Amino acid sequence: MATATIEYHAPDTVEAAVALLREHGAAARILAGGTDVVPALKYGVVGARHLVSLKRLGALRRLEVSADGDLVVGALVTLADLASSPVVRARWPVVAEAAGQAGSPLLRNRGTVGGNLCLDTRCWYFNQTEAWRASRPPCWKTAGDRCHVNEGENRCVALFSADTPPAFLVAGARVTLAGATAPPAGRTIPMEALYTGESLKPVALGESEVVTTVTVPAPPPRSAAVYLKHAVRDSLDFPVLGVAARVALAPDGTIADARVAVTGAGPAPLRLAEVEAAVHGRRAPAADDAAVARLTARTLGPLFLSDGVPHKRAMAGLMAAEALARAAAAAGEIR
Amino acid sequence: MKRLIQLTVNGQTRDVPVQPTRTLLDVVRDDLGLTGAKRGCDLGACGACTMLLDGRPVNACLVLAVEAEGAEIVTIEGIAAGGRLDPIQQAFVEHGAVQCGFCTPGLVLATKALLEATPEPCDTAMREALSGNLCRCTGYVKVFDAIRAAARRLREERTCPVTPS
Ligand SMILES: Cc1cc2nc3c(=O)[nH]c(=O)nc-3n(C[C@H](O)[C@H](O)[C@H](O)COP(=O)(O)OP(=O)(O)OC[C@H]3O[C@@H](n4cnc5c(N)ncnc54)[C@H](O)[C@@H]3O)c2cc1C
Ligand code: FES
Ligand code: FES
Repeated sequence: MATATIEYHAPDTVEAAVALLREHGAAARILAGGTDVVPALKYGVVGARHLVSLKRLGALRRLEVSADGDLVVGALVTLADLASSPVVRARWPVVAEAAGQAGSPLLRNRGTVGGNLCLDTRCWYFNQTEAWRASRPPCWKTAGDRCHVNEGENRCVALFSADTPPAFLVAGARVTLAGATAPPAGRTIPMEALYTGESLKPVALGESEVVTTVTVPAPPPRSAAVYLKHAVRDSLDFPVLGVAARVALAPDGTIADARVAVTGAGPAPLRLAEVEAAVHGRRAPAADDAAVARLTARTLGPLFLSDGVPHKRAMAGLMAAEALARAAAAAGEIR
Repeated sequence: MKRLIQLTVNGQTRDVPVQPTRTLLDVVRDDLGLTGAKRGCDLGACGACTMLLDGRPVNACLVLAVEAEGAEIVTIEGIAAGGRLDPIQQAFVEHGAVQCGFCTPGLVLATKALLEATPEPCDTAMREALSGNLCRCTGYVKVFDAIRAAARRLREERTCPVTPS
């Protein structure tokens, strides 16, 4: 780690954390569980000279159901606690499922919800040691001027690969932030708005902003959601693709509301609005529905295979159809 | 800039000067001389560095030492009591669950956390609990045999007050 000059701060309040972030601007980096920041420090790809640890912010550890029936998840709740929470498993199982599939049990004991949502994008040519990267000219993501994935590409195509965002997205989650530069200091946004769609800076946070909580509304009646993860190994691996779907059924058994979101297929976790609209008002698709698969593959747009998996577009289609079918079947069992 | 922090490792609290970017694994191995936890990948992907942090198994290679201030840290050196191996260690020895041994401290500590939370784990729970700890030698079969045996022994210790000599 080329890091002797890094300073560590562990503020006691959110306000103090925001003040530190404001003071140090681009030279500061938030540290939550550190399971992504620490590898990045070791790889020498974090420019920060100040680490602002959130560990003393007890208020960010709450995990509860509000009086309105919303699930309120503090940014510092670990993925392990989210995955094993009885109330989350009972009422928002898709969120528990996605959290429980990230990384490994050891990583989930440290990795937090806030860190998972704000995870940096990943690329074969970026998440490597300095010595490894030195064999090529620097790429966009390391302040260079080229892309090693697609030669000639005039932008970075690193992929967003965190597991929980698709699950939170189909569940309709909102994210509360503290420390916006312009007043009001706090704001709550739909999770879709947390992402820029740019691989270089995937998360749409101001320099002094901190994610404090994620709020998930109670699911609609006769609805169910699933998260499917395709990875090289069942543990320790980021998703090659992750697809979440939620289906709510009308009394006649047709689809009253459908949501599909993917991770690992672009610079941000994506809602697939066209696919959602296409199945709306119809009977549930079969798990091998070719039309849903084709439409999904098409809506994904250009797919940069920065993790080197050529069958990704086809896989995404099959997984979306299967996720919708499974969610609809589970919703159909609710009377 | 170095900071003086208090680390509580295996019940003993000491003041340790550390650079903020050094990991718990680096400090425990290189400064405290406890080399039981191994440095494998140094990137969170093998579990050889596993330590218990407030009872939970974590990748010590990804925890900055400054972040562990105020926590109870347990390493493999801390679980044998009074010269007697922990029943989990004993079971690993007896069941041939140790070959090269590089993964063993991590597997034993991950098992310790598992059996404390779930004294009678099913096979799925065992596989799940150890899925962040890679072993390239044993194929895990003898490891799972050892865990079953350790769970049995711990159950007997709880229900039978006579300590084996
Ligand atoms: C071997 C390995 C395998 C992994 N596999 C997976 C996987 O399968 N799926 C997966 O999703 N992840 C995986 N991860 C990544 C990581 O462990 C998780 O995403 C974890 O949830 C990150 O959380 P953290 O608290 O450790 O984040 P940190 O490393 O602390 O932070 C990550 C990023 O988020 C920012 N940040 C953190 N908290 C906040 C906040 N409250 N507000 C604003 N910004 C914030 C940080 O500044 C940083 O940029 C893996 C990591 C490793 C090392
Ligand atoms: S050395 Fe820490 S996980 Fe490999
Ligand atoms: S005994 Fe050699 S890696 Fe497990």
